[in-house]
Amino acid sequence: MLLAVLVVVGAALSPWSGGGKNHPGTTGPFGVAAQAKPDNGDNQLPVSVKKVFGSDIDAKTYGELIAAKEDQGVDLQGHLISDLSPLPPRAFNRPVARYKAYAERWAAKLADQVPSLRAALQSGDRDRAEQAWSVAYDDYLHLGAVYGLLPGTIDHRIDGMPEALAGAAHNPDFTGLHRIELGLWTGEPVTSLVPFAARMRHDVVDLRRALPGLEVEPLDYATRAHEILEDAQRDLMSGTDVPWSGAGVLGTAAGLAATQEVIGTLVPLMQGRENTLIEVQVWLGRLQKVLTQVRHEHNGTWPSLSHLTTEQHDRLNGTLAGTLGALSEVPGTLETTSVTGFPSIKASK
Amino acid sequence: MTGVDRRRFLTGSLATLGAGGIGAAVGANLGEQGTAAASTQANAAAQAQQVNVRALNSRVPFDGPHQAGILTPAPDQATWVALDSIVPDRSTLMQTLQSITQQARQLSQGEGIGLQEIEDPPPDSGVLGPVNSPDSLTVTVAFGHTLFDSRYGLRALRPKRLIEMPTFNNDRIDPARAGGDILLQVCAGQRDTVVHTVRELLRTVAGKLVVRWTLDGFQAAQRGPTQRSSKRNLFAFRDGTGNPEVTNAELMNRLVWVQSGARGEPSWTTGGTYIVARAIRMHVEFWDRVGMLEQEQMIGRDRVTGAPLGGKGEYEDPRYDLDPKGDRIPLDAHIRLANPRTDATAQQRILRRGYNYHRGIDEAGNLDQGLMFVAFNQDPKRQFATIQNRLSAEPMVDYITPVGGGYFFAPRGARGQADWVGSGLAV
Repeated sequence: MLLAVLVVVGAALSPWSGGGKNHPGTTGPFGVAAQAKPDNGDNQLPVSVKKVFGSDIDAKTYGELIAAKEDQGVDLQGHLISDLSPLPPRAFNRPVARYKAYAERWAAKLADQVPSLRAALQSGDRDRAEQAWSVAYDDYLHLGAVYGLLPGTIDHRIDGMPEALAGAAHNPDFTGLHRIELGLWTGEPVTSLVPFAARMRHDVVDLRRALPGLEVEPLDYATRAHEILEDAQRDLMSGTDVPWSGAGVLGTAAGLAATQEVIGTLVPLMQGRENTLIEVQVWLGRLQKVLTQVRHEHNGTWPSLSHLTTEQHDRLNGTLAGTLGALSEVPGTLETTSVTGFPSIKASK
Repeated sequence: MTGVDRRRFLTGSLATLGAGGIGAAVGANLGEQGTAAASTQANAAAQAQQVNVRALNSRVPFDGPHQAGILTPAPDQATWVALDSIVPDRSTLMQTLQSITQQARQLSQGEGIGLQEIEDPPPDSGVLGPVNSPDSLTVTVAFGHTLFDSRYGLRALRPKRLIEMPTFNNDRIDPARAGGDILLQVCAGQRDTVVHTVRELLRTVAGKLVVRWTLDGFQAAQRGPTQRSSKRNLFAFRDGTGNPEVTNAELMNRLVWVQSGARGEPSWTTGGTYIVARAIRMHVEFWDRVGMLEQEQMIGRDRVTGAPLGGKGEYEDPRYDLDPKGDRIPLDAHIRLANPRTDATAQQRILRRGYNYHRGIDEAGNLDQGLMFVAFNQDPKRQFATIQNRLSAEPMVDYITPVGGGYFFAPRGARGQADWVGSGLAV
């Protein structure tokens, strides 16, 4: 939806649109199309450039001028611009396909884990069942970037929270991982939860069936690079979506893995476009390190939120916030359209 | 500290204040500030203080056909206090409502603090000094649907459209921050005025009403460019541009006030209005990571000017008729869904009077900020709920979470000294 709008707006108000339907850059005075090529960072020209090609404008003057303008987000004509040439939407086909294959692997893992969870519940051993639940929850959260794309109620059946349901936790439609979480951590008889695991088996079948057909728009996919960890911060590190188990750190670690996968698929597209990739990789590495340390400090297990020391909590929250800052540059780096502004009310007649 | 020590301390401080304090200042309007300004030269600081004195002297009538705090301009500060009733019967409830009105009327009209027995606790905490300057204070009293359950025999008097707030898509309402038998909306120019008012009102109702939840709100400063410019919410967009004109009495009768003879409404509700109060958490860090273009497309307005996209002025008509496909203002932009500006949707409009809030930091280290959305309407089902359902799929839902509030009914205003807000329930 948004994408469609951007395309229209971009086409209507491209700064070089005076020449009609020409590709941006081909009619422009200074060959902007050259910006589209990935840059390996080295100056490969044998000589230093003095004049702007095809003109007698001093290159240094022009460079400074355009750089100063671009810092304010406008071109030399004063139009609002994005500072990178857009990527073709098809460039995202391969990354998305790779991510889907990754998600399918984790869904298969989840499918294998559900019978183990069921057996653990059947045994009546609460510790064992909580352990099995944690693995299943971790598997599901590794799917990461598929949120909001699954058809029908699949996501809600597997991972839904009860607030939106009438009668909340008592509503029979409250099933899946969080229903089992509620039972395990609030002292319900462990074996009474077996039916929820049995039902989950069918829900995971639906999940695996749905994954290959998922469709995601390029801009949407790029946005997911930061939204997975945003959701982890808002819903998991806050405890909101893991009120009984407190499994916020485990969930954040799974979200980080999914984010690393998304970024991994996008590396070929991000290379040479601003500094985003390096920034992102540095921060993802920092967050990974903090999570590993915290896990180590809790004898190789993911601590519940309430077992974190203030210092551990600070390190996690702070590093996650920094990571999100770096990731927020990803969508802008991977623009698929050239945006210049909005048509005026009169022009839209 | 022993009892004796405490008593001695109190009498000591009273003696220090002496005649020049409490006694003399009663009736002498704003003694402290007035004296300070008069005795200094006309420098900038003194002038600024004069302005402040004028604002502190500003008075909003308490009594009237409608309660204050609805159509009256929203001063900078506010607190909402939701209360549950623990009184045993209806007559005690009526006495309690009477005393709320008395206290609210006195505080909002700005009276000096009287002194009773010197050995008794003073009748007012005195936080604002010897005179409670009015400071545009309004106290709006409203009732939740639970007040009309079986406890007080009020079932037959329940305002027809007063129900528990429905759960809307994306709502994550915390029961501890929602509902309540009685809602007090306290608004004033200065924070200390509001805080003092809440303190005195709670003292008034001690043992009868208990606090269920509270929320503090603040207005953005008027930063122009014109006096008419709408102020910004915490997403940095101007909020309230599309509000119906409060000076248009005929419009208010169609959109805000319950009319005499309205279908199914008990007669005591005439002149009242339904309040929809919703504490909406705004995930501001998330919002700040969104590109400007996307922000503006989600709202449908220019962030700086507040003009509809493609327009120049804040109050310009967005002309959806010229943009049927959403090329300029996306079809799911907030302003477009909230108010499509068609003949059919004109009767759905609501009067908004919201405040920003800031409650600190959550467990994940994010700012707990948002909007206390307050809307007045004649029929929440026809108006607010219809709009809210239309907004259920707007892209902005990813950045907000409604967490508290409720539906309330604010009855007509008190008719004078002998009347009180809610007296219609005593019949």
